[in-house]
Amino acid sequence: MAKKLTVVPEKCSGCRTCEVACAIKHFNVNNPKKSAVRVLVTYPHPVVRMPIVCSQCKKAPCEDACPVNALSRSNGVVRLDEDACISCFRCIEACPFGAVYAHDDCTYPIKCDLCGGDPECVKQCPKSALLLLPEYSLGSANRLNNVLSYSQMKEIEYSDEGEIKTIRYAEIGKEEL
Amino acid sequence: MSAKGGYFRKYLHCDLSAGTCERRSLDEETIAKYVGGRGFGAKMVWENLKAHDFKIDPLGPENLLVIAPGPLTGAYLPSSGKASFVSISPATGLYGDSSMGGSFGVELRQAGLDFLSITGAAPELSVLFIDNDEEATIIPMPHLAGKSCLETEGMIKKHIGSHDVHVAAIGVAGENQVRFACVNSDWSRNAGRTGIGAIMGSKNLKAIVVRGEIDLPVADLKGLMQETDKAVRYMHEHKYFHMWQEQGLMNVIEYANTQGILPTWNFKDTVFPGHKKINGETMLDRYKIGDSACFMCPMSCGNICLVKDGKYAGAVTEGPEYESCAMLGSNLGIDNFDAVLEANRVCDEYGIDTISTGGIVGAIIEGYETGVVTLEDLDGQEVSWNSDEAILALIRKIAYREGIGDTLADGARAIIARWPEMDKLLLHVKGLEQSAYDSRVGTSMGLAYATSDIGAHHTRAWTIAKEIEEGANWSPQQKVELVIYHQTLRPLFDMLGVCRLPWIELGLNERHYENFFSYITGKKTTLEQLLALSNNLYNLTRRINVHMGATRKDDSLPYKVREAPILTGPNAGKKIDEQEFDAMLSLYYQERGWDENGVPPEALEATF
Repeated sequence: MAKKLTVVPEKCSGCRTCEVACAIKHFNVNNPKKSAVRVLVTYPHPVVRMPIVCSQCKKAPCEDACPVNALSRSNGVVRLDEDACISCFRCIEACPFGAVYAHDDCTYPIKCDLCGGDPECVKQCPKSALLLLPEYSLGSANRLNNVLSYSQMKEIEYSDEGEIKTIRYAEIGKEEL
Repeated sequence: MSAKGGYFRKYLHCDLSAGTCERRSLDEETIAKYVGGRGFGAKMVWENLKAHDFKIDPLGPENLLVIAPGPLTGAYLPSSGKASFVSISPATGLYGDSSMGGSFGVELRQAGLDFLSITGAAPELSVLFIDNDEEATIIPMPHLAGKSCLETEGMIKKHIGSHDVHVAAIGVAGENQVRFACVNSDWSRNAGRTGIGAIMGSKNLKAIVVRGEIDLPVADLKGLMQETDKAVRYMHEHKYFHMWQEQGLMNVIEYANTQGILPTWNFKDTVFPGHKKINGETMLDRYKIGDSACFMCPMSCGNICLVKDGKYAGAVTEGPEYESCAMLGSNLGIDNFDAVLEANRVCDEYGIDTISTGGIVGAIIEGYETGVVTLEDLDGQEVSWNSDEAILALIRKIAYREGIGDTLADGARAIIARWPEMDKLLLHVKGLEQSAYDSRVGTSMGLAYATSDIGAHHTRAWTIAKEIEEGANWSPQQKVELVIYHQTLRPLFDMLGVCRLPWIELGLNERHYENFFSYITGKKTTLEQLLALSNNLYNLTRRINVHMGATRKDDSLPYKVREAPILTGPNAGKKIDEQEFDAMLSLYYQERGWDENGVPPEALEATF
């Protein structure tokens, strides 16, 4: 099943744990600048904190831009063949999300490989702002929101063994049915 | 380029008068004795004082400013994004430091530096650029004059065309040398206290810009990872972890009000009838739009808030946290969260400390109420409790040094010099305005403020919760011991370059930190050894203060704490008895090995 690394910017706190986790996993060093994920922050208009991650595009601009075919997609991951790579960094410039990175110490571009299917950034994000989701479920939150916004939600209080709780329900007028 | 074992053994020294920046070697003895952070800062400030025969004007070019992350800053462990700003404080004329979160300290370390020291003054408003291990440059940027902290950060990032830098900048208040101006970084992290921003202003240094990408030296990364996994798992499983992510320090408003320690109407009272309108629940309900965390922090105690309607609609601020909300809210009688947010926002933009500002404005309102300050003194503009617009106007006058603001900008000592009666209204120790925990509830908190090396700030010791728990059953000996333990452990976090909140708020065992330190430096070290070094440092900062003229008289309680009992609430009638306090102070000196005047012997080296 194809999975996508996705982000929920609303949840990101900008703590950069993902960066350090990625660097340790791939380079075995404590260096947030050697990672395939970076948190970008804009403030105060608009306020956004967002980890920039690779989407492993099926028609990957980085792959298209590579003059020596060092990038190719297999098993849902666009992989870099370091033997073929000439370090021209055109992939970095081609990525529309800016999700491929360069570092002075590194000959090759730093490119997400999804950690073999179990990304460290996802595991370590303290806010669950990074998720690895099956492709079919992408957009499901938006679909649900769409449905909820259609109906007018009402709240009623009720007593559950003496404890007051609330339940929400959608009130749709008969005339609308 | 990499270096093993926690340190790069290099620091950058900038002489702004000469326009030079030089990478210097850091000797092993300094590393072994002072650890890092405020340790390196105090050591360098001490050396500078000796070189100037202890005659230093805090706002003169000779004052040395040290910006020092610690050996743990930036490392793979919880909340490792702290750096200390250390100097001689323009607020107190004594030792001063302030620690800042975010990522600025991490970036400085990644530029291959253990710390940065700055002396002299630039001929015109300038910015210091540090790009990785390349030569640092001082560039005149006079067009940044008058820009706010956040504008400055934005303009510099735009100028460079990159978001890959971290900027520590001052606002107008720093430029105008307001003695409680702060330094702002990462869009709202502040080195808030002791007037570090004024020192940058006096040096014509508008901002420091850093980019670094060097590997951080960790001796045993695998060991560090295992230790961190344990610590992080503990934090995640803590029952209050999610509450911290949601509310951060704003949860303390409710606690402080319930316990009767919330500063209200300039510390007249400790319970605020309008507290529900400015507490964490209100923030969550209507204002919070995002979370914010310092480097590697799972607790993300920062809140980003937006005022959605009314006259302050559109105001975005990171905050408030407890101190800012109490000092700019209940302490000024403000029960309108819109106004608290706006006040917090303008303080961040001007670059002034919210605690000192709230303390001073509160005292002025009470001063006007009681006739100490006249309408003429106020330039004809009335100010009263909950008068948000007048209060905001007054804050602006402080930042711009207009009218009465010119006196207020010089802090507690200048205010009392102009209106001697203000000594009864303005709460301060050594010239630093008091933090937002009322110490009349317990002598240990009074002692904590009185003996703090930087003045009335809660960062050194925060014993109030314990004192409330223990009530009357607690002996003076126990109180003194706890204050000293706090004053030893809490500054240790500032030496290591990490945040203390995982320990104080979630109860993360302090033993983790000896392991973090050992894995990073590769030198097996115990907590006791580190505490001994921290204790030595407390003696050093005390010695600095003694040389700068501080005596036992300066370890005193503010007038209100001694003479004005709390009006209502669970602690109604409480104040600190002066004789009881004096006896406790003697006991404190004795326990520390200081003489009756609070002077530590020359060669006091502690074991812990």
